[in-house]
Order: sequence, then C-alpha cells, then structure tokens
Amino acid sequence: MSEHLTASAQNAAVGGSTQVGGTGEQPARDPGGRAAAVGPPGRNAAAAFAARYGLLVAFLATVAVFSAVRSSTFPTWRNAESILTLAAPSLIIAVGLTVVLVMQDFDLSFGGMIGLAGGAATAFMVNDGWAWQLAVVVVLGLGVLVGVLNGFMVAYLGGNSFIITLAMGTVLAGVEFGLTDQATVYDGIPAGYVEIASGELLGLSNQIWIAAVLALVVWVLLERSEIGRFMYAIGGNPEAARLSGVRVLRLRLLGFVVVGVAAAVVGILLTSQSASYAPNGGTAYLLPAFAAVFLGAAVFRPGEFNVLGTIVGVLFLGVIQTGLTMLDLETWVINLVQGGILITAVLVSRMGMARR
Amino acid sequence: MRALERVEARAIVKTYPGVVALDGANVTVEGGSILGLLGKNGAGKSTLIKLLAGVVAPDAGELLLDGAPIALPDPHAATAHGFAFVHQELADVPNLTVAENVGLGLGYPTRGGLVRRRELRAQARAVLARLEAEIDPATPLAQLSIAQRRLVMIAHGLAADARLFVLDEPTASLTDDEIAHLHRVLRTLRDDGVAIVYVSHRLDEVFAVTDRVTVMRDGRDVFHGATAEVDKPRLIEQITGTRGAVEARPRRVAPAGGEELLRVEGLTLPGIVEDADLQLRAGEVLGIAGLVGAGRSELVRLICGADRAASGRIVVRGSERRIRSPRDGMEAGIVLLPEDRKTQGAVLGFSVRKNITLPAMARFRLAKPLPLPNQRRERAAAGELVARLKIKVADVEQPALHLSGGNQQKVVLAKWLDSDADVFVFDEPTHGIDVEGKEEVYDLMAELADQGRGVIFISSEFTELVSTCNRVVVMRDGRLVEEFEGEAISDAALVASCYSH
Repeated sequence: MSEHLTASAQNAAVGGSTQVGGTGEQPARDPGGRAAAVGPPGRNAAAAFAARYGLLVAFLATVAVFSAVRSSTFPTWRNAESILTLAAPSLIIAVGLTVVLVMQDFDLSFGGMIGLAGGAATAFMVNDGWAWQLAVVVVLGLGVLVGVLNGFMVAYLGGNSFIITLAMGTVLAGVEFGLTDQATVYDGIPAGYVEIASGELLGLSNQIWIAAVLALVVWVLLERSEIGRFMYAIGGNPEAARLSGVRVLRLRLLGFVVVGVAAAVVGILLTSQSASYAPNGGTAYLLPAFAAVFLGAAVFRPGEFNVLGTIVGVLFLGVIQTGLTMLDLETWVINLVQGGILITAVLVSRMGMARR
Repeated sequence: MRALERVEARAIVKTYPGVVALDGANVTVEGGSILGLLGKNGAGKSTLIKLLAGVVAPDAGELLLDGAPIALPDPHAATAHGFAFVHQELADVPNLTVAENVGLGLGYPTRGGLVRRRELRAQARAVLARLEAEIDPATPLAQLSIAQRRLVMIAHGLAADARLFVLDEPTASLTDDEIAHLHRVLRTLRDDGVAIVYVSHRLDEVFAVTDRVTVMRDGRDVFHGATAEVDKPRLIEQITGTRGAVEARPRRVAPAGGEELLRVEGLTLPGIVEDADLQLRAGEVLGIAGLVGAGRSELVRLICGADRAASGRIVVRGSERRIRSPRDGMEAGIVLLPEDRKTQGAVLGFSVRKNITLPAMARFRLAKPLPLPNQRRERAAAGELVARLKIKVADVEQPALHLSGGNQQKVVLAKWLDSDADVFVFDEPTHGIDVEGKEEVYDLMAELADQGRGVIFISSEFTELVSTCNRVVVMRDGRLVEEFEGEAISDAALVASCYSH
C-alpha cells in the first residue's frame, strides 16, 4: 500500500505546464467572451475544441510519450491493467467527490474516513473476531453515518463545508487511532476479506470492476437522473432550485453520504488488497482526488464538474504516476510536479468557467 | 477632465453563441445632451452598454471619442476615458460606507499609507451635495434604499470626473418623487456638459428627460431623432417594428364569484408582515400595490413557502395547509414567479430547456417509476413554451446566460406555465420587459384566471394593476391597509393609498 501512496502522491504531471496549459490558453484571457472577438472564425472553433478536448489530447499524448520512451514495458496489457488497478481506489473516491463538488460543497473528511474504514474493519475482524462480511457491512454503515453527520451540519445547520469536513476528518482520524492504537497490522486478516480486492473476475482485478460499477452508478445519477439534474441546479443557483421545488438540503446531505460510502469502500479495498493495515492511510488521497476532479472539470464540459471528466482526470494521473515511476524520478521532482498539476488543474477549470 | 463633444459607436457587430446581439449598430451621444436609448428586450441595448463599459469587445466596428478611435479592452479603460455606469442591478459594495463607495477605486486620501476618513467623507459629502442627496457619507451602503444607492453610484461617477454617464433602467423600483429627483440631477449634469445615455422602457420618462432618442431593433439602430419631434405612437412603432400603436388595454371584467381558492389569515413575520388576511377566488387577478419595502414580496414569499411565517393560517381550497418550503407550496397548488430572475428565478448556467422543465421533472420521465428524464420530450415541451412566449432563442439547448434580461424573465415564466397549480403568484413579472412583452404577460395572467385559476400580481407600475386586476389590495408598512375593486381601482387611488399615513 505504501507503494500506492507514494505513487498517488506522484500524480504529477509532465503535462502540467505544456499540454494542460495549452488547452486553456484562449479562454484564459477571456472574462467576457472575448476570445470570440479576435481572429478568424476558424480559430474560434479551434479554441472551443481545445477547451473541450485539450485535456483528452494531452492524456493521449502523455500515453504516447511514455510508450515511446519505455516501449518494452509501458505499452503492454499488463501495465495497462496495473495502472487501472492502481487507479481504481482513486477513481471511486474522485467520482464520489464529484457529486458534492457539483453542488458547490467541499468534503475534506474522506481522507479520515478512508483511514477509519480500514482501521475499523481490521480492528473488528482481528481484535474482536467479527466475520468479515459483518465488518464490511458495518464499515459501509459508518460511511453512511459520517456522510449524514457531515451533510446535517453543513446543509441543515449551515456550517461551512470546508471547515466542518476538515474538522470531521480530524475527528475520524482520532476515532481510527482509538480503535487501532495506531498499530500496523499484518496478521489475522481473513482470507475472504483479502479476496475482495485481490480477487479477479474475467481476468480483471475486482477493484477495477468495483470502481467501474460505482463510476457507472454515479454517472447515471448525475448525468441521466432527475436527482443529477437537481444537483446541477443546486450548484448553479441554489435559491432558484429551492423555489422550483428541489429538496436542496436533502440532496446536499445525500452528496456527503455518497462521499462517505465511497471513502468506506476505498478504505476496505486498500486494507483488503495489501492484507494489512497501516494507520492514517487515507490522507494521501486528498490531493490526488481533488486534482482528478478539477482536471476533469477542464474536459468535455469545461468549467463544470462531470463524471466522465473525473474518470479522464484519474486515468491521466494514474498514467503519469506509473510513467514517472518507470522513469526513476526523484522524490523532490515528484512533489513539485504533484503540486504543479493541481494548481494547473484548478486554473484550467477556472478558465473554462470564465469562458461561459 | 474636460467635457467631451461626442462618443460614437459605428457599425458595431457582436455575436454570442447562437445570438447576434449587435448587427451593425450606430449610436452617437453628445456632450450636454441626454440620449434616450430605446428598444425591446434583446434589441442590443445591454450589449452596447457593455461595450462602452469595456466588459465585452466588439467583433467588428469601432468606437470614436471626439472623432478619434478608442479601444476599451477592459472596464478600467472605460473609466480612464471618463465613462461612468449605473447598472440596473446595482454594482456597488454594500458592506462599505457611502463615502468608501463614492471614492472606490479613485484613490482614497491617505496620510502615511492610512486612509484619512474625515477627508474621504468630506469629499463624498461635496459630491452628494451636487446631487441634492441628503445621505450621510458614513452610513453603510446596505442601509440605503435602492434610489439612494443609485444616487451613490452617480456620485461615484461624479467623483471620478466622468464625462459620459450611462444609466440602464435607472428608475426601476423607484417612487415618483425619487424619479423626479433623479431627473433633476440628470438635467443639472447635462447643463454642466456631461453626455448622458438613458436606457428605459418607460416612454413617459423618456419624453420627460431626454433630448434625443435612438431606437434599436434586432441589433441595429432603426431610428434617431430629437425627442421634441417625435410622439409616442411613432416611437412604439419604431420599437416594435409594427404599424399601429398598442391600444390601451380594457379593464378586466370581474367574473361571477368563483370558488375560494386561497384564504390567508393572520399571516405574520414580525416587523415585516403583520397580521395579513387575504382571499383569492377562482378566475380572479388580485393585485398587491405598495411602495418598495412595504412587504409585498415578503408576504407572497410566506404564502408560497419561500420563507416561513411566525404565525397565521393558509387555507387552500377549503383545507388548511402547512407550507414550510416552496415544495410544500407547490404541493398545495401555489407557485411563485420570483422577483429577481438572476438570483431566484433562473439557473443561468442551464440551458433554456433545463430551466423550463426544472419544476416539473416528474412529468418527463422515461417511465413513471423511473426518475430518468426523457430529454426528447423535455425538448418538445420546452420548444412549445418558447414558441408560446415568443422567447428569442435559436435553440432550447442554448444557455440562459446569454439571453437578454427580458428573455430570461420569460424563461422563468415558462417554468410555471404548464403547472396545474391553483394559485399563481407573479412578483414584478414585467420588470425590465419591453412593451410587447408586458402585453404578453398580461395576456398570460388573464388566460390563467380565465381557466379558473387565481393570480396574485405584485407590481410597482400601478397603471398595469388598473388594467389587469379584478381587485387590488394596498400594502403599507407590512400591513394590508386598503382594498379596491372593479371601477374603484385607479392609478390615483392606489398612489394616494400607498402614500397616506
């Protein structure tokens, strides 16, 4: 797992300045729809294409570059599967995070929730001798509970989501440490539990299947269902949504529940895959998850958080992370690039918004 | 800054995705003159103003200041040329004081890097005195009325030594006295050599205060002339592009006492709405008159569930309903078309289709038990409403953001038109809408009432209450104080009732 953490911390980007920046160049200077004012019409269409698909192009270009530089190891089925497996937990949490961000709320507590989920499952099974199925159900329930608490405090009591969930993350880490004494656990995790993440179906890791199904569910929810329409309306104008009969508070609460459950799933998958538990395993997901979702807001529907964009964002980060690892870069480079990509992602997505 | 002679916009073209906002428009305004800029919603007035303000850049055409081409790449450039703007939606900083707003961005007087508040206030006081505005510069802006805030914005322009003032619907939500005061101020400025552009849908005001008029239609200038040489029918003809003026609307004839749809008893929100009793019958259009701040919007928001009342009863079709949210209101059959389309009515990032279907999503499901919307049916329904309300869009998938204000307002109306609600509450539905659009809104209200529904209509333009309502109640200081019915409803009576104490 530790490998995964450093790896996701890499999430960095070769493309940080070149490819990604290129996608938003036009809209960048365009607070008032001004790009339209200069140049021939063809340039306009090109700018629109760049804003919409630039990140996708950058993603494919990155794949091509890594494939050329490490032609024997990178462009292989094995490597693709490994990238997907590695990206699966990130995808689950990033997709969940997309839901709250659509409604203009923040959730910073999922790092704590991921850690708590792994810690609680381990403690229940190893210390208390619970059946692994029971532990899984209870941990998923914990995710729901934490989501409800977050949602209640933010939506119904009007707390600032940034601060409330940041504090909640700390509380959850406290609960995790209380349950596990911050001890790393290698032994006694049931085989059935380990099988959840390590098992395979049709030649693909269960993690990939789980991530794919959850992503599909959230995609249908946000893009194809009434609830999704309402959620985007809340993000666009909460008062207009409320006056149109949308249950704003309830849906905002639901958003936090989605993140809570996603975080619980990720916590379970991480401990299951490594058959071990290490304290505070979730915090490292905070930055990459936000980076992926904000990157995603720069593609397909510029300026708007969307599930397909988030998926591209996660895969982009996954490819970069694996590619950089193959290039044997030093840790300090990885840190620089990781911070750089998040900043770029935020800026590119702002440019998209300004363009509307 | 010395007075300017002339600002010209020549052959300006500006397109937005799916909309040609300006299509070769020419407008000239001269120093020492007030130009009335007229046109329907979507005629291109707002875009032209944004252009002068440096907010948008033209696709083609040029701006000339005293004959020399100028570029306005950003709002700062417009300010540097001495252009000042009073927008319909106030663009000031409510949490700062009047003095801080007047001096905003002009460089506060400082000593050793610290703001000298006394001097700042003195500067503001001097400018406000020129406007005959009795406003204490130390007051936080948020405590002022809308009229006072508009004056503060004009004061800001004066403090910046502006040579061109552009006022966009400056008299919206103002009382007659306040309008008279504003006009006096504008004439004084004009006599000082300032150029003024006055944008308004209210023709009486245009005749009262402007020297020249320019009419725009479909992104082009179609008429220029001296105000003294045109008459109202001629202007209306130019604005609408059709021959024959809009005829005075006949009064709405009272229906035979319909069934009681809504009864409100003792509705109270302390300090804002006090002990309101109200009754609405099927087939009735009930007007609520009153001054800004009398509590009209607040009252209807309580009825619709947008806010929660402290006490009182709401009875719909004979049964008491507990209405604690807009959703409760909708379920009880009461819908609200809110006052402010930008903050309450429309989701601007949404397409026209998504805005229109938002309150009625359940009607567009792929299958009844499946909460998945059928976009094709949504498009069809939205398309019908767009046609019915004559909303100017190329496609229902166009974002509401780029529509003109009046078209946005119509989108908000369209959201509710197909609803099977019993009670429709229209809060200032004609605010910022052109002459034709207003007639359409009146027709819609009458149509709903004729179908046996009840309509509550809030308006600050009493003439439209006179012609559309069966009954009008007057609200003053949070209380319903007087009621007029049928022939007793008149502009004079309503004004007198609003102002009496």
